[in-house]
Amino acid sequence: MPAREGTYGLLAEFETPGDLVRAARQAHQDGWRRMDCYTPYPVEEAAEAIGFHRNKVPLITLIGGLLGGAAMFGLETWISVLAYPLNIAGRPTYSWPAFIVPAYEWTILWAGLSAGFGMLALCGLPALYHPLFNAPNFRDGATTDKFFLCLEALDPKFDLHETKAYLGEFKPNSVVEVNY
Amino acid sequence: MANDSHASSHAKTLPAELGAPAFVDGWRNRALMTGVVFSVIALILAFLGQSQDHLGWDHFLRAWTLGTVITWGFAVGGLTLLMVQYCSGGKWGLLLRRPLEAMSRTLPLVFVYWVVIAIFMKRLYLWANYTSVSATAAGLKAGLITEIEAHCLNFKRPMLNPFAFLWVGLLCFAIWGLYAWRLNALALQRDAQGPETTPYWIKKFENVSGLGIVIYSATMTAAAIYWVMSIDVTWFSTVYGLLFLVEQGFQVLALGIIVALSLAKAEPFKTILRQTEQHDLGKLTFAFVMLNIYLNFGQFLIIWSGNLPNEINWYLDRIRGGWGVIITLDFLFHWLVPFTMLLSRDLKRNKRRLILVCQIMIFAVALNQFWLIEPSFKDAARNLHLSWGILEYIAVPVAMTAFWIAYFCTRLKTRPLVQVNDPHLKEILEPEHAHA
Repeated sequence: MPAREGTYGLLAEFETPGDLVRAARQAHQDGWRRMDCYTPYPVEEAAEAIGFHRNKVPLITLIGGLLGGAAMFGLETWISVLAYPLNIAGRPTYSWPAFIVPAYEWTILWAGLSAGFGMLALCGLPALYHPLFNAPNFRDGATTDKFFLCLEALDPKFDLHETKAYLGEFKPNSVVEVNY
Repeated sequence: MANDSHASSHAKTLPAELGAPAFVDGWRNRALMTGVVFSVIALILAFLGQSQDHLGWDHFLRAWTLGTVITWGFAVGGLTLLMVQYCSGGKWGLLLRRPLEAMSRTLPLVFVYWVVIAIFMKRLYLWANYTSVSATAAGLKAGLITEIEAHCLNFKRPMLNPFAFLWVGLLCFAIWGLYAWRLNALALQRDAQGPETTPYWIKKFENVSGLGIVIYSATMTAAAIYWVMSIDVTWFSTVYGLLFLVEQGFQVLALGIIVALSLAKAEPFKTILRQTEQHDLGKLTFAFVMLNIYLNFGQFLIIWSGNLPNEINWYLDRIRGGWGVIITLDFLFHWLVPFTMLLSRDLKRNKRRLILVCQIMIFAVALNQFWLIEPSFKDAARNLHLSWGILEYIAVPVAMTAFWIAYFCTRLKTRPLVQVNDPHLKEILEPEHAHA
């Protein structure tokens, strides 16, 4: 964990998603990696522009679903075969057809919960503090009508003055320095 | 992106020539040759089977029923998915409408297939042989039928008799034909008019299709009961029509995807097929894969739980005596393989692999029908055995489906492949994520 002090990054504000995506794509092409886009609504193109082709949510969902299904099927088997075997109309205690429905429901439940909470966790949420909220224009615009590109100080290419001039070439509304 | 002025400048333009590409003729010729070869094989197998166990021609007709059900699923299922699409909307419809229309216009061939069943119904259906109470009593006395069968034959005679079979069949074909003709004719009229008429046509198609879907559900249930379920007079299931309905959606989507993706090798589909809509079709297919296992397992679970002698035997006929192998394979190809493969986002966006999954799905539909039809006959119930006749289940449906595909290709060539009077056309020509 790097020391949380000094400059977090440079934040450029754009008026339209198109401007943001063009700037983000160019920056990614120029070798920037520690960067992120912030938009008021999902802009898939922005994610693609900075190299987010895939994420781990599907894998987490799959694992959650499999674990949920296995857990419920195991529970039913344990109850019916070992813990409390009952003779129900002469059927075998291990009557798997009857176990399918709850196991199926639990697969869906746990896949859904895993998808939701996995997505939140991968996004780094819940977060009590994020340096970007130090920028007043970000606080006002990021959830309403402005589109932001942040080049972060952790990137080896980062230099306060050069990077500021570099972002200025994309004709943003403003470029502000954000501190931790 | 709607608010971006750069998107429109990158929009593709529709090619001037909208007809089916030339290689569709190649498909048709290959299908015709396959049909001829397998017809010859089917005839040879029938003679071999006849000399082996005197069931050669019986098996030929049973396999014919299978072939009829499959091609019927494509033709009438195609008509229904077309109607569903007109009601639901969505850009994926632009890819499928013309192939689905072509499927619906193959109905005459399916009718010919059905006529053969109608002519030879005595070889297929017990109820066609015992058409009166006295005939049933005589059959029971001679030990040709069981007491349960005799009871069911008498009880169900108002519905299961040759007269009703013929008239219900004719009525169903008339209704499907009417809808196929109407929707196909309206679609050409729609394209001949300008964009100012689009709202009118959208409403018009919705109104025709909405009622059509309801009527179709009833008629296809009747057909499924008469043609397949009634082979075993003793058994019934209230979800039977729905099973066939979902199965038709399953097989039509699979074929529709194969056709659309194969057509994309050339114009005009090369221009209008985007990954977004391909992905959407994959997701819709996934839903049908799930719905299908849901209903099939639901029926099994209820009958298994009830464990009643007049119901459970239907399943025992289809599980014991080697049939367990078939139902296991059916489960694998019908659900497990398509389900696990279609879960993957990458696979749904990969043309070659998506086509492979769809081919497996169509094979599974045939396997499932084999499992439904053959054990209904006494010589095969709880007794899966290899004979020359069993091989008819490969030869006859392959030949019939091949001829159907040839007919389908001919139909596909008769009109432009893209419906132009549609608001989605502009959207589908826009680039997907590449240009923001």
